[in-house]
Amino acid sequence: RGLAAGPEMHFGFQTVTEEERREKIYQVFESVAKKYDVMNDSMTLGIHRVWKDILMHKMNPSPGTLLLDVAGGTGDIAFRFINYVRSVRERQLQKKLKHHQNLSWQEIFESYQKDKFNSLGDSQVVVCDINREMLKVGKQKAQHLGYSEGLSWVLGNAEELPFDDDQFDVYTIAFGIRNVTRIDLALQEAYRVLKPGGRFLCLEFSHVSNPLVSRLYDLYSFQVIPVLGEVIAGDWKSYQYLVESIRRFPPQEELKAMIEDAGFFKVDYENLNFGIVAIHSGFKL
Amino acid sequence: VRCQRYPPLRALQASAALRRVSDEHKKEPLTSSSQQHFDSPPAGHQPEQEPQGPRPSYTGQGGQESEDYESEEQLQHRILTAALEFVPEHGWTAEAIAEGAKTLGLSVAAAGMFHSDGSELILHFVSECNSKLSELLQKEQKLVQLGEVEKKPVDEFLRDAVEARLRMLIPYIEKWPQALSILLLPRNIPSSLNLLTSMIDDIWHYAGDQSTDFNWYTRRAVLTGIYNTTELVMMQDTSPDFEDTWRFLENRVADAMTMGNTASQVQSTGEAVVQGLMGAAVTVSN
Repeated sequence: RGLAAGPEMHFGFQTVTEEERREKIYQVFESVAKKYDVMNDSMTLGIHRVWKDILMHKMNPSPGTLLLDVAGGTGDIAFRFINYVRSVRERQLQKKLKHHQNLSWQEIFESYQKDKFNSLGDSQVVVCDINREMLKVGKQKAQHLGYSEGLSWVLGNAEELPFDDDQFDVYTIAFGIRNVTRIDLALQEAYRVLKPGGRFLCLEFSHVSNPLVSRLYDLYSFQVIPVLGEVIAGDWKSYQYLVESIRRFPPQEELKAMIEDAGFFKVDYENLNFGIVAIHSGFKL
Repeated sequence: VRCQRYPPLRALQASAALRRVSDEHKKEPLTSSSQQHFDSPPAGHQPEQEPQGPRPSYTGQGGQESEDYESEEQLQHRILTAALEFVPEHGWTAEAIAEGAKTLGLSVAAAGMFHSDGSELILHFVSECNSKLSELLQKEQKLVQLGEVEKKPVDEFLRDAVEARLRMLIPYIEKWPQALSILLLPRNIPSSLNLLTSMIDDIWHYAGDQSTDFNWYTRRAVLTGIYNTTELVMMQDTSPDFEDTWRFLENRVADAMTMGNTASQVQSTGEAVVQGLMGAAVTVSN
């Protein structure tokens, strides 16, 4: 390949160069793409859905929000966003109608016409992922589930986003930042593409401090998950990587400091399930 | 060690939204009451969060370097003030805060800095009203000291102060019942109670200490009762310019005054009775 040996990085518990790491991770997701969702459900016993719901609830997006979901792959966050915004919009419209008690039929008819084509209230989500296979799976899912409005798919690298400055209201990265090779670059890019006042949200596996839970979690991670990987997806190595990469990822406070370094204010995190997963949040102020 | 590294780093990075304080200082009178409000943080934020690390507060020792930029609290202050304009339409909600943020040129996502039920917005409003009342009473006191105005008798003073304070609710009166219910949530009670008692204390402070019929706690409790009941009456009042409410207020204050007189009458009657009994006892023993 003739690539210059870059700085030493970790790939799970192995040590590799930066370029090698990017390639290996790309290959991991290329091979797991088709079984990604099934594996998520079986590994986390479906709890990952709850985590993603909590993330959406925390975001509490109002209609008109522009969301950038990075490493969004198969679209879980994007679909939730669309559902959430749609229901908020419906409630808004109902409230408006309640106030319009004294309108003539003509006026009511007109207000229905106007809002019928605006069921999302101008909200939009852009799903950005570095991996073509993951995006493909995501697009297929969207078609299958009937999501079309307010959704776009972009191939891009979190370390170098193909977007202009000050574009988005919210930036999310769910279970993706762990796989980014230069996290500091990704955070800087996140800062750049967010509007002033915009919010950064990161949902990621993190560190468990409770010793009992930690032992059970380790047991489950190293004994059960790679086996599930082999049985369900036929790919032991990828899931071994997954588990190791979780252990190598910086803990809550360290990630918080990195986010602050990128220029975000009011940075905080919320532990879910004893710290198995954490949601970090920061604002571009 | 981290703390020392931070202030210069922050000042260098061009902040996206925090304005230079030199422009702000001329417009923002941060009175003591609003500072007090921000010292009692609403304890309702996600309970599983770790407390923020020892970052330098913008009024702390790192303050010298970061004085150039307004702090996060000041920006939040500005957003909440801007949000008040949207309360009549959206109520005391995250939507009003989002609209407020928009008018400042910020993303609607900035509303995520606050609790989704609008608690901070309401507490901010109450704190602002209390500050305005303080200013009003202070100005009045100055006029009295300069001899330009007669000092009001206690009952009239109390009536006017409570009326002035309650009139500030008028633009938001439709959504105020909603606000009251949120203020009564357990996690908001410490803050809302704090704001209420400091306002009541303020009024008594400017009313001056004249009557010796009440002791301090009774005075506070009595005025709090008058204020709260009048507020509730105001919610239901449909009379023009709330004249029914002001009449109710007048009656309550009058009641409180006579109660004071009754108390002192009871006391002097009691003393007379005791003296009579003593006299009788002495007579009998002889």
